[in-house]
Amino acid sequence: MPALTQSIALSEPRAAARKGPSRGLDATFRTISFGAALLVLLVLAGILGSIIYGGWPAFREFGFGFLTSSAWNIGTEQYGALVAVIGTVASALLALLIGVPVSLGIAVFLTQLCPGWARKPVAMTIELLAAVPSIIYGMWGLFVFAPLFARFVQIPVSNLVEGMPVIGTILYARVPSGVGVFTAGIILAIMIVPFIASIARDMLDQIPTVLRESAYGIGCTTWEVVRHVLVPQAAVSIIGAIMLGLGRALGETMAVTFVIGNANRLSASIFDPSSTIASRIANEFNEADGMQLNALMALGCILFVITFIVLIIARLLTRRVRAA
Amino acid sequence: MNAASAISTVELSRNKAEAGRAVRIAVKDLNFYYGSFHGLKGIDLDFHDRQVTALIGPSGCGKSTLLRCFNRIYSLYPEQRAEGQILLDGKNILDSSVDLNELRSRVGMVFQKPTPFPMSIYDNVAFGLRLYERLPRSELDGRVEEALRKAALWDEVKDKLKQPGTGLSGGQQQRLCIARTVAQGPEVILFDEPTSALDPISTGRIEELIEQLRDEFTIAIVTHNMQQAARISQFTAFMYLGELIEFGPTERMFMNPTQRRTQDYITGRFG
Repeated sequence: MPALTQSIALSEPRAAARKGPSRGLDATFRTISFGAALLVLLVLAGILGSIIYGGWPAFREFGFGFLTSSAWNIGTEQYGALVAVIGTVASALLALLIGVPVSLGIAVFLTQLCPGWARKPVAMTIELLAAVPSIIYGMWGLFVFAPLFARFVQIPVSNLVEGMPVIGTILYARVPSGVGVFTAGIILAIMIVPFIASIARDMLDQIPTVLRESAYGIGCTTWEVVRHVLVPQAAVSIIGAIMLGLGRALGETMAVTFVIGNANRLSASIFDPSSTIASRIANEFNEADGMQLNALMALGCILFVITFIVLIIARLLTRRVRAA
Repeated sequence: MNAASAISTVELSRNKAEAGRAVRIAVKDLNFYYGSFHGLKGIDLDFHDRQVTALIGPSGCGKSTLLRCFNRIYSLYPEQRAEGQILLDGKNILDSSVDLNELRSRVGMVFQKPTPFPMSIYDNVAFGLRLYERLPRSELDGRVEEALRKAALWDEVKDKLKQPGTGLSGGQQQRLCIARTVAQGPEVILFDEPTSALDPISTGRIEELIEQLRDEFTIAIVTHNMQQAARISQFTAFMYLGELIEFGPTERMFMNPTQRRTQDYITGRFG
């Protein structure tokens, strides 16, 4: 058909004249987006560089002993990170210990057991929990929760376990004031539950119905379906969610500063007051100068390293689960 | 036009219905509701022992719904309910006193898509066994191997039993699911379009497998593939809009349907 070929030949120049971003605009766009990406790297490097620079005198002065010393004496200018590091890690781990089972319970309930009409309200409540500012958790923890916790948990438990080996130390409160590592762990748990629960819920929701039905189809009970099929199926994402929660718990400052007691004392009891890195910095940055400021900066470096390690562990775990 | 022109007579003659087989499942006046929607209307149907019964019909005709009644998997969804009787060996499985977990170990199901569990090939098969019995390791090994052999998968996976089941090809995964079902020693196996997600070669293997499994199990299969129904089944039930239109030996159903609609569907005049 000659007419057709002709019309194709005619349309060619029109295609070349297509309207669109000119070459110059495209290049500008590329530069801007590259710049945005670069900015993130620069900001991160800048922050990291300046806290390492600020903390360097402390590391030089105390050497490796900065990590293993539990001293924090402003008068004699002796500083060590041990109490704050242990407090940080212990309160975050307690938060996971309490928060993860609760989160998974919520996610499983919402996706598997909850009657349709209750699903929306419960899910909404949990997401609202994530929107509560941390200062509110701190105030509530200190003024409401801590006194109740002291009266109904710390005192009875301390009386019960006094004199027993091991748990008589771990669960004994010398001063049952309600504040301490365990209280911080509970408050942190409340704060991380909405994150872990909502991600885990989304992941469980994405599992195809046929997989669930085939697990029921071989005669599994709901518990067996959840335990052996659904949770392992979503394991990678759930581990990711847990690590996100852990990261938040490690760095959380305001709420923890309220309820951890801010004591620089090594104690084997989870009911005793302690400090975390973030709470120590928040308490002292205002009046710090000289070596104290350097020590606080050095603490900041250590927190950075801890969260970095958590990130690496998360990567390794998810890779292992994916391979399995 | 004769219905048989669409289906080769060779295929049909291979699978003559064996007369005199006992009735394994008897469906009596079964009605099924999705909320207020009446999905199955007064179904009466017998499934014969160690025979393959194919359920055919256009999409939405209720054939999958019927299949899902036999292991009561529909009861996962509170808005779905069945009324009437389904007698498995004379006992009504729709009775509320029936232990669902036990029922599902007697009536296994294989789905449209392969559904390997997130565990090793070995554990995929052993998982179902461990739910019911505590077996010594050596016996468990034996039962897993037996099931994988029956599912014609053993030779392909015997050297990688510890690898995840999700690493297998689609056809292998589906045979793994069959092995998982077979391992529990069910009486009945339900196949819900088991080859709809597979390539022709994998489909062929699954069909061969179903023919072999017929020696031991009573089989019901939902399929959209007319040739498949003709190839592997001894009985065929044609359903349309929630009703059973016609039921009989596959050969007669394809050669000589008594109902106009059956003939139209089989010859591809609607669907």
